[in-house]
Amino acid sequence: MVNLVLNENMKIYRRVRTWILVGLMAAFVLFVNIIEWHSDGKKAQGEGWRQELQLKNKQWREILKQPNLGDDDRKFYQEQIALNDYHLEQNIRSTDGTMWDGVNSSANMMILITIFTIIIVGDSVAGEFSSCTIKLLLIRPASRVKILLSKYISFLLFGMLLLLTLFVISVLVNGILYGFGYMDLPMVSMNADGQIVEKNMILNLWKTYMLNGVSTVMYITMAFMISSAFRSSAMAIGFSIGALFAGNIVMGALHRFDWSKYLLFANTDLTQYLAGHPFQEGMTLSFSIVVLAVYFLVFNLISWLIFTLRDVAA
Amino acid sequence: MNKEPIITLSHVTKRIGRTTLIDDLTFEVPQGEIFGFLGPNGAGKTTTIRMIVGLMSITKGQILIKGKNIKTEFEQAIRNVGAIVESPEMYKYLSGYHNLVHYARMVPGVTKERIDEVVSLVKLENRIHDKVKKYSLGMRQRLGVAQALLHRPSLLILDEPTNGLDPAGIRELRDYLRHLTRTEGITVIVSSHLLSEMELMCDRVAILQRGKLVNIMPVQHFTRENEHVQTYRIQAQPTEQALAAVRHMDSVHEVKLAKEGTVEVTTERERIPDILAELIQNHIRIYGVEMVCQSLEDRFLEITGVEQIG
Repeated sequence: MVNLVLNENMKIYRRVRTWILVGLMAAFVLFVNIIEWHSDGKKAQGEGWRQELQLKNKQWREILKQPNLGDDDRKFYQEQIALNDYHLEQNIRSTDGTMWDGVNSSANMMILITIFTIIIVGDSVAGEFSSCTIKLLLIRPASRVKILLSKYISFLLFGMLLLLTLFVISVLVNGILYGFGYMDLPMVSMNADGQIVEKNMILNLWKTYMLNGVSTVMYITMAFMISSAFRSSAMAIGFSIGALFAGNIVMGALHRFDWSKYLLFANTDLTQYLAGHPFQEGMTLSFSIVVLAVYFLVFNLISWLIFTLRDVAA
Repeated sequence: MNKEPIITLSHVTKRIGRTTLIDDLTFEVPQGEIFGFLGPNGAGKTTTIRMIVGLMSITKGQILIKGKNIKTEFEQAIRNVGAIVESPEMYKYLSGYHNLVHYARMVPGVTKERIDEVVSLVKLENRIHDKVKKYSLGMRQRLGVAQALLHRPSLLILDEPTNGLDPAGIRELRDYLRHLTRTEGITVIVSSHLLSEMELMCDRVAILQRGKLVNIMPVQHFTRENEHVQTYRIQAQPTEQALAAVRHMDSVHEVKLAKEGTVEVTTERERIPDILAELIQNHIRIYGVEMVCQSLEDRFLEITGVEQIG
């Protein structure tokens, strides 16, 4: 099994295109962070954070005076003001103007990890079929299940490599731009009960990574299923990336139907529970985990059945 | 030679929908034999081979390789098999060497030394670290042979192995297969629609037609079925007189005019000197005598009827 994973890794990393994707990942992270630093990160450096927080609180209090403000927005601004006050009282500087600002916002680029991994996944099974190498691969003393599993593991490893790239590059570039200070700065946030808590910045970052990673894994599994079912790379890559982007739009349209909460796209984003705004009322983290687990099993079962039972004729 | 069969097919049938691709195929191949599958395109050669190597499921019947069922004991059965199914498609973006490493990792016990050994066997030492996409067709074919032999299989299966090889390459492959069967006791199954090739390469040939086994026979039986009665072509002038002179002789089964200046006589080998003596006595000038071998091709056409070949 280890050997099979080594084989799959060899097929991934001894290709130029893989390193182009990794390079693109690094380039995007660099580019976005430098732009952000250039446009507004620079001026928040030093001790300017107090004035900035006070200014923001003042603006937000103005907004709160508006009579036609929605409930959600009102709650949001009240929470933000409370957080800012906490920063000022406890003399904990905000992340603005520290490397953490950039590092945390880089976590949003995890969608790139999903896209790039889908490209590798979509081509893996289908590519072996279209180049006919599948014939020589399947006539070895390794069952088809093992081959499928080894491919799956190699994708997860590739996803992790991209995640590591994201983490390392974003810490390095923001560290260089803002200085490697405030390493032990806590993350100040409000928990579900409305209590203000201090969290470890790195732990919180990896928690965000992991929660986003769940959605990446779901899309990988979906691309893998399409790749082994239809044996077409274009279809697997196109459909999965399409679903990634169209998912939210479709969910917006289906929001009024009660059953829409059972759809995959309503549950992939687990960070909705961090913020406390689930897709539909009554959805909980454990509900989403169960739904995702069911989809995960079904996708893998389909890949497995089709891949092991179908004749290799082409 | 009463050896254990390396591979046994019993009542193997393959159906897809209502189409029967392979119908009740039963045969076995003993150790050390080069066994040929012969048949026109679409006869089911490749389908049979795909079932043997587990790429296709078997609708009915079973295939045993060294006593292991390919369906239920796939990993143990396939361990004994090295194969090229149609053209050997390699990972073009990897070097030849990495391709071999890839396949070596999938079978326990294939060492680095074995890889080097196989590489020198197929004479690819100089180019083995180049990417496969830079290889010529012949080199790819040789790399295909290398991957099939890597794990010292007892059964080598080659589907259309001479496709795309030049005559020198074909000859080399043929000699090499002979060598393997003699020295390592490997059993080989080859499929081809090139009859002349099969004639030179195989010990026994199975003829397939529309998914059915028409016949299995040793190659010698194809060409010299009645060892002593043969057809000879005699170039003689004047032809008419030659025909007349030979016609009445004993043990001459058939005499006919092949073309102007050539008489075809079907007779026993022993009668040839007498026939020639008779012709000379009749002042007929003889320019040449040759034996007409009935080739595998003729035999094949005879057996399968006027089916289009290859």
